[in-house]
Parts: sequence; C-alpha cells; structure tokens
Amino acid sequence: MSLRTLFALVLRESRGARARLGFLVACLAIGVAAVTAVAALVDGIRASLSADARGLLAADVAIESRRPLPAELFESLARQTGVSTARVTELSAMASAGDAARLVELKAPEALYPFYGEFVTLPAGLRPGALAEDEVIASPELLAGLGVDVGDSLALGGHEYRVVARLEAEPDRVDFALTLGPRLFLSPAGLERAQLVQFGSRVQHRVLVDLPGEPDPRALEGFVGALREAVPDGRSLTFKTAADPTPGLTRTLRRIEDFLGLVALLSLLLGGAGVAQIVRLWMESRTPAVAVLRAIGMRPREVALVYFVNLIALAVAGCVLGATVGACVPKAAAYLMPELVPQGLDFPWAAVVRGMILGLATAAGFALAPLTAVWRVPPARVLRAEATPLPTPTSVRWISLIALFAVVLGAAATQNASLRVASAFTVGVFVLAGLLAGGARLCALLAGRLPRGRFGPTLRHGLAALARPNSGTSGAAVALGAGVLVVVAMGLIATKLRSEFLADIPPDAPSVFLVDVQFSQSEDVRRLLTEHGARGIDRTAVVMARLSAVGGVPVSTMLADARGRARWVLTREQRLTFAEELPPSNRLADALAPEGPDAGMDAGTDSLWRLAGVAEVSLESGFAEELGVGVGDRISFDVQGVPLELVVSTLRDVDWATFRINFFVVVEPGALEGAPGWELVAARVEAGDEDALQNDLARAHPNVSVLRLRPLLEKVSAIVERVVLAVQALGGAVAFTGVAILAVAAFATAARRAREAALLKALGVTSGGVARLLAVEHALVGFLAGALGGAGAWVLAYGFLGFVLDLPGLPALWVVPAAAIAGTGLALVAGAAATAKARRVPPLVSLRG
Amino acid sequence: MNDRTSVATTLLLARGLVKRLASGERELTVLDGVDLEIQTGETVAILGPSGSGKSTLLGLLAGLDRPSAGDVVIDGVSLAGLDEDGLALLRRRLVGFVFQSFQLLANLTARENVLLPLELTGVRDAERRTDELLGAVGLSERAHHYPAQLSGGEQQRVALARAFAPRPRLLFADEPTGNLDGATGERVLDLMSELQRQHGTALVVVTHDLEVAGRADRRIHLRDGRVVSIELGRSPLHASESRAIVPKGATSESATSESTL
Repeated sequence: MSLRTLFALVLRESRGARARLGFLVACLAIGVAAVTAVAALVDGIRASLSADARGLLAADVAIESRRPLPAELFESLARQTGVSTARVTELSAMASAGDAARLVELKAPEALYPFYGEFVTLPAGLRPGALAEDEVIASPELLAGLGVDVGDSLALGGHEYRVVARLEAEPDRVDFALTLGPRLFLSPAGLERAQLVQFGSRVQHRVLVDLPGEPDPRALEGFVGALREAVPDGRSLTFKTAADPTPGLTRTLRRIEDFLGLVALLSLLLGGAGVAQIVRLWMESRTPAVAVLRAIGMRPREVALVYFVNLIALAVAGCVLGATVGACVPKAAAYLMPELVPQGLDFPWAAVVRGMILGLATAAGFALAPLTAVWRVPPARVLRAEATPLPTPTSVRWISLIALFAVVLGAAATQNASLRVASAFTVGVFVLAGLLAGGARLCALLAGRLPRGRFGPTLRHGLAALARPNSGTSGAAVALGAGVLVVVAMGLIATKLRSEFLADIPPDAPSVFLVDVQFSQSEDVRRLLTEHGARGIDRTAVVMARLSAVGGVPVSTMLADARGRARWVLTREQRLTFAEELPPSNRLADALAPEGPDAGMDAGTDSLWRLAGVAEVSLESGFAEELGVGVGDRISFDVQGVPLELVVSTLRDVDWATFRINFFVVVEPGALEGAPGWELVAARVEAGDEDALQNDLARAHPNVSVLRLRPLLEKVSAIVERVVLAVQALGGAVAFTGVAILAVAAFATAARRAREAALLKALGVTSGGVARLLAVEHALVGFLAGALGGAGAWVLAYGFLGFVLDLPGLPALWVVPAAAIAGTGLALVAGAAATAKARRVPPLVSLRG
Repeated sequence: MNDRTSVATTLLLARGLVKRLASGERELTVLDGVDLEIQTGETVAILGPSGSGKSTLLGLLAGLDRPSAGDVVIDGVSLAGLDEDGLALLRRRLVGFVFQSFQLLANLTARENVLLPLELTGVRDAERRTDELLGAVGLSERAHHYPAQLSGGEQQRVALARAFAPRPRLLFADEPTGNLDGATGERVLDLMSELQRQHGTALVVVTHDLEVAGRADRRIHLRDGRVVSIELGRSPLHASESRAIVPKGATSESATSESTL
C-alpha cells in the first residue's frame, strides 16, 4: 500500500470522527496539560535562575564555610591575575528598637560586593561595603517589624546603628528559600563593632570571586578544582559556581519535578486508558468495514495502520489543546503566586514538546492492543456475521504489550531522572492495573455465581450484565477504579501531609529555641526565661566540630568519591553534645556489650556508655548508616583544631517529631571537656509572652538568637499548603480524566444497549423500566470500580505514608465506602448521559435486527 | 454466459474440502468432501437449501476462510500454503466479490468505494478506470454520494463496479440479487453478465434465485455439505436442455430432486 493510498484511506476514515475526537481530546488534553504545566513551571523557574546565574551568586565563584576561611585560600586567590574577591560574613542575631526585637539575618560584605546582580536601596546608590561602622541597610519587613524608618536607629549587639536606607533588592538571596528572619546589611567594620562573632558562634563565612572575562562552566570547574587542590582542607569547603549558583534549589526543583511529573503522568496514563476504550469501541463499530477491507485484499497490518494513523491524527488535536493549556499555567501561577514563580517567563517550548511527545506516545502505546482486533476480524464475516474470529498472531500480541510497557517506562523515565524510580513506577502501574482488572473479573465471576432468581428483575438484569462475558465491565471498572484510586490516594496523602505539617506544636514541646547562648550567659538567660513563665527549660551544650576520619580513613580521602548528600554529611559542621544518659524521645537501636563496671549487665539496658577507658560516641542510626559505620567502629572529629577519636558504642533511633532538642552525635561526658561551645536552650513559652521574652533577651544578650517555632511552622505551612494545592490540582485533573473515561466506557456499549433496549420494549418493558435496568448495571459497575479504587488507594496511601514518608498511622477507612458511593454516583450520571439516545430507540428496531 | 471462444484453462481447483464448525459443545460438519474445478471465464452457480453449505463453500473457494481439510488452488497457487497476508494479497490480485448485503464502506462515497481496490493494487489510471466503471453501471451522476444516500439497486451496482475494478480473474457473488426487487435484480444481473463478458472473468455465484442460476454454465447443487448433483447447460427454465450428472456417492433420487430445484 502506497503512502498516498494510506493517507487517502486515513482521510476518508476520519469522516464522522467528531464523537471520537471529542472523547480523545477529553482524555488526552488533561493529561498532556498536567505534564506540560509541571515541566513548564519547573523549566521556567530553572531558566530564570540560570538566566541571571552570576547575579544569583553575585560572583563567578563563591566559597563557603562555617569556619573562618583558611589563609591559604586567600593567598592562592591573590596569586591569580585578574581575580577580584569580596568577603561576606553572615549570621543570625537579634535587632531591637524600643520594646520591639526581631531575629535578623546579618550580612556584612566587603566593598566590591556584589560583582554581579543589582543591589538596590532607597535612597538609591548605597553599597553595604561602603557603609560607616554605625550604619545599616534594613529590609522593609524589619523596618515594619521594629516600627522604625530610614533615619531612625536600632540596636544590635548592644550598639546603636542608624538605618541609612531601605533594602529593595539583593541579588544573591533567593526569595522562596526558607529564611529565619529579615535581612540587615552592615559593613565589616560595623559587624566588628557589634561584637557578635564569638568563638563557636554560628557564622557563615564566604568569599566571592570575580574571574576575568566570561568563564564558561568548564573554566569555572577547572578553577574550582585547582583551588580545592591548592588549599589544605580545601575538600571540606563548599564551592558554588555561576554554572549552578543554587545547588540546593536545583535539587529541590529536581525533586518537585520528579514527584509532580509522575503524578501528572498518572493523569496522562489514565487518559491513555481512555484512548484504549475509544479504540476498542471504534474497532467494534468498524468490524464490518474491516471484514470488507480484508476481503478485498488489505492485509491486517495495512488495515491497522489506517486506523492507527487516523487515531494519531486525532490525538494531535488533544495534545495541542492540552499543551496549550499547560503552557499557560506558569503565567497563571506567576500571577497567583508571584513569590514562587517568576514573572515574564518565555513560552515553554521544551515543555510543550515534551507534553506533545508524551501525549502522542501514550495514545499510540494504549491504542495498539485494541487495534489488534483487526487481526481477529475474519474476512469470511462478509458472508456470515457469526464467522469464527481468527486468532491474533502471538507476535502481534507481544509487540502491542511490549510497546505499551515501553511507552509507560519511557514516559516515566522522561518524567523522573531515576531509572530505578521510573521502573518501579512502571511496574507499580501494571501491577495496580492487573489487580484492578483481577478484582473486577472476580466480582464479575461472583455476580455470575449468585443465585439471581432471588432478586427482582431489575437487580437480576444488572447482575447478569455484570457477569456477561465480554461485557466490557472489567475495562470500565479498571479505568474508573484507577481514576478513583489516584484521586483518593493523593487526597489521603495530602491530608496526612497537611495534618503533619500544619499541626500546632505538641502541648509539651518547646516553642522557642535560644541559639548561641554563651556558657557565661547561661544562668541569666535561665532567669529571664523563668520570669516570662517558661516551662520545660532544656539546656544542652553544643560543640562545633568536623569529621576528620571514619574507620581510620581520612575524610579528605573519602571525599574523592563522595557526591551530593554523602559529601554534605562528611563536610558539614557537626554539632556535638554530651550526655550521661539516653535522652528522652531516643531509643537504643544497637549497642556494644557493656564492659568495665557495667560488665555483666543485660545487653538490652538503656545505658548509653558501654566501655571502660575509651572515649565513646553514640550516633543516630540514620546518620551512622550514611557514614557507613556501626557499633565498635571508630570515628574522629576535629574539634576546632583539636583531634578527638571516639568509639561508636551505641546507635539511637530518634523521634524527631517531638520538637525536642536532639543530636546526631552524642559524646561521652568528659571527652569534650574544655572545648569551646555554646548552649542551645529550648523552652515552652505561651504565645503571648514570646514577644516580651524576645525583646528582653535582645537587650540583655544581643548575641543570643531567638528561634520561634510558631512563625517558622507558619512559613512551612504556607509552603506545604502550596504543594498540597498543586497535588490537588493534579488530582482534580486525574479525576476529570477518570470521569471522561467512564463516559467513554458507557458509550462503548451504547449500540448494544440500543438493541437491547428495543428488544426489552418489544417484550413489554416500559421506557422507565429500561432506564432502571441500565441504571442498576451502571451503578453496579460504578460501585465495583469505586470500592476497588478506594480500597487500592487506602493500601497505597498506607504503604507510601508509612514506608516512604515514614509517617505511620492508618488512613481513614471511611474513604473506601465513600469512594464506592462516589463511583456509583459518577457511573450513574455518566451512564445515563451515555445511554440517553439508546433508551429512546423504538421497539421496531428489534424486528429489523 | 460467456462466449467461451478462448481456450478454457483451470483457474480454480478444489479437492476434498471439509469444513467443521463448533456449535455449542458439538462439532458440525458444514462441508463434507467437496471437489470442484472452475475454468477461466466460466460461470458456476451454487445452489442448495439454507444450511447446505453454499456460503461456506464460497468463503473457502475465495480464500476468505480456511478448510478443516482439503485444499483450494487458484491460478496454480495452493491456498493452504498461504498465511493471512498471502491470502489477502492473492485476493487483491485475482479475486472480486459481490455480496447480498452490498458491503460497501459507509464512510466512503460510491466513487471512493470503487477506487479503493485500484489504489491497493497501485493501478496507474485508477481514477479514469473508476469513472469508466461508474459510467458503465450508470452511476456517474451518483459518484459522490455515500452508500446511505443510494438505493439498494444503486448500492449493488457500486459493489459490481468495485468488484470488477481491479479486473479480477475470479468473481464470487453471494446472493447478489437477494436484497433487490425483481426488476432491479434483473438489471444488476445483466450488468454483471456484461462486465463478466468484457473482462473474461470466471463467476461463482451462490443463489436461491433460479433466474440467476439459469444464466450459469454449470449449476452445482449442495445438500448437507455435499454436492448432490451438477447440471450443465444454461437455462434451468428449460430443463430439457440441461443434463444432470450424479457425482460419486450421491443417490439418483437426491440428484433428480436437486436438479429440479
């Protein structure tokens, strides 16, 4: 068959395709829109980040550490020609004015800051590095919070500073990062004047580097690599380059893309199930034509190709509509959530192409199996309508199945960077579909075995329809059930997430944390807390240290192979504490057998320390797993220049949800004696007393940072609310697709229904009676799909929450009957709409056959 | 029906055709050892009561269906050795059909229905030939109408044009006048005869209609899946001109009774 003939046939077959086109558009457009929207949003945010990558870093390269940066680094930088540097120091501190105090994020850059990006103030033209030592630039939120204006004064570290300008824009601060407080700029001299940087304080040291010319990512990597090698301990420094100025955000975006991408894909795959139903219906209605085509000499694959190309042409319409809608979502999101989505994004061509390709691939993959019906149509059907169907060749069956699997796997791999996750998703989708189909088949079997004689004629007919072979029940139940499953599972997961993150602080949990309390300030801070009615005051000493060796292997060696989180675990500044006993909300997971005075004790004892004459350490079990150590192994810390080797004697499981102070690393008392550190204090303060406590602390101990849990939780809640909103929007898309598919499934049997309705009327059943018979059948299918989908969703949500998100607990069981009722309702509505025409068929039709 | 001036050669040879079909839990023998030979340009009518296996035999001879035993050879090609694709290509090349229920493609206009087999075989002057055939069957004015817009007789004439379009060497007709009134049926038969004569096509027609059967060179009578008699000669309305042959295994009574059908 020539290409011209093929297209001529395709064109002719497309006549009368309006109904098919409507369903295909409904099924595909929503899924394609979801896929496109997620990709467009993430691409848009990513593009806006990379468009001004240098601005986001304010430099070509930034080198960061929680410790003062080594002198060798600056020497190495100074040796390179054309390189400019600017040091930036950041820390949290309390600022106050009158009775008001706020935790602020201080930033003290040198004069050349920023190398790139816009630093905008009002009045304009001020640069933080050039400020006098008693001048500051404050963000609008801080000015509002303290009730001061430009020209007024505020106190910082017990010293007065004059606000000389309002901060309008800061290049290297990403708005949607979770920050502890508003920004306050001052000069390095001004920071020194405040005397807030003390030994052991939590300070972020950074040096910004401007390289000559326009270095490309490769040149940046080369520069960073050389610098790492040149500086002792260079591997423990954090390097950021303009090639990826916000690696944390990049990772977060990747995760969001991975997760929401798969949810969007579910919607598209459901659409694919709808396409399969449409093609099945189409092939049923075209069986006589297929028989004629085969009789006059068309090979089955030629006939299938005509229908396949036709379907793809129709699918393009659905994909174009879906991709257009999806491409508009970032614009709407930028309008609705300006703080999350940047304005003025380019048209998301890449996302549109992705949506179109995935949409068309899904349509193609799902269409192949029902298209194999062409092989079953016997050409002899032109002579006898009841001619025995031919077998589908095994190769054709396998090709259609493999193609479907490949499409789902390929789509999942496109939507998720991890092939492992994509494979698990694909297998999960097939297993779920199989379970739903199996469940539907089982129910049909049971319906067939029921003694139907006991029931009235209406219910009897409905049950008979459910049990009838090739009734299409299982297809409809799988499609609707899958829709219900996805919607209910996402609803359950979103509800649980919301209840977890939006929950108020537990009644016995602390509500404020005081950071950087110097040991000398400890007693006075305690007095202030007590005066403000604080309860449950919990003080813990913190010593900052860095891992130097694990199991005798130096961290500098281990870093050569470490990437991502593994690198972070090895290089982060560790907070060490010491304790005699197992802290509350901790449980021993593993322990060495006791030695020394405790020898002979039961190994199950809660004693934290087990060995005599050896400095011990207790690790949180997840942290130990990341380090790859167990009890009996040795790890070494560099405690601000002093080496400390410890034996891991116990591993602990920590219940982090209690909001209590907990540590990954707890050291045996004595081992850290004399080490410089500070106290972390937690206490429960009533909401009404928090402001007054914060103000008093800011005045008396300006170096102490007050972290209030309530506003932090509110910030987290706002973010979680948005994520839940996005998930629910996608869930809605999935639900809509499910209903569209249901209508398709109902329409699929409309022609048969019409013949049956005519026959029933000829036998004396009234129009109302016919409507009731059909309604019972639809209701039974809907109930079955809803119940199966609801039960599946319950199991899925239970597994996902408990084992993936580590949020144990049984989801609400009422969702199963609720889903069954909702499924019944949906099926009744869609079924009534789909069979409206069939119910009006006059009884005479039955006589004409 | 044809002038038979050319040297007759065997176009179709069927040997020992058996067809069994599942009927509930039982197996029904629909055809039971039918042998048949069809010459180029010959017209053969297959007659018999309902359920005698006429349409089944037609399906097997045309390669639409496969026998449970036996074989059909068309133009020297054994159908048993062909897969579904091979059968399709053979039908495309050599065989045409006319059905009782017309079997036109509802989505295609009359002209497109006729054009289709020509497009499949890749005929160069397909459009011209289509228009000529539509003219020959008197439907030039109705070429762009859909089947639903045509009368039964018109639909059958479109079906005739489609069947003859690729110039098949064998045409199978299944009750071609079964759905038509007498006058229309007569006209369709005349057309079919004319086209068959022009193209030198062998015609195998399954019919109940004595008028149709009377135009055949041979009339093969089936009963219970077996050939019970074969009549030679052209007009069954003039029984004296016809000669009954009783095939091996058939009774003379059955042959006589069938021959008078």
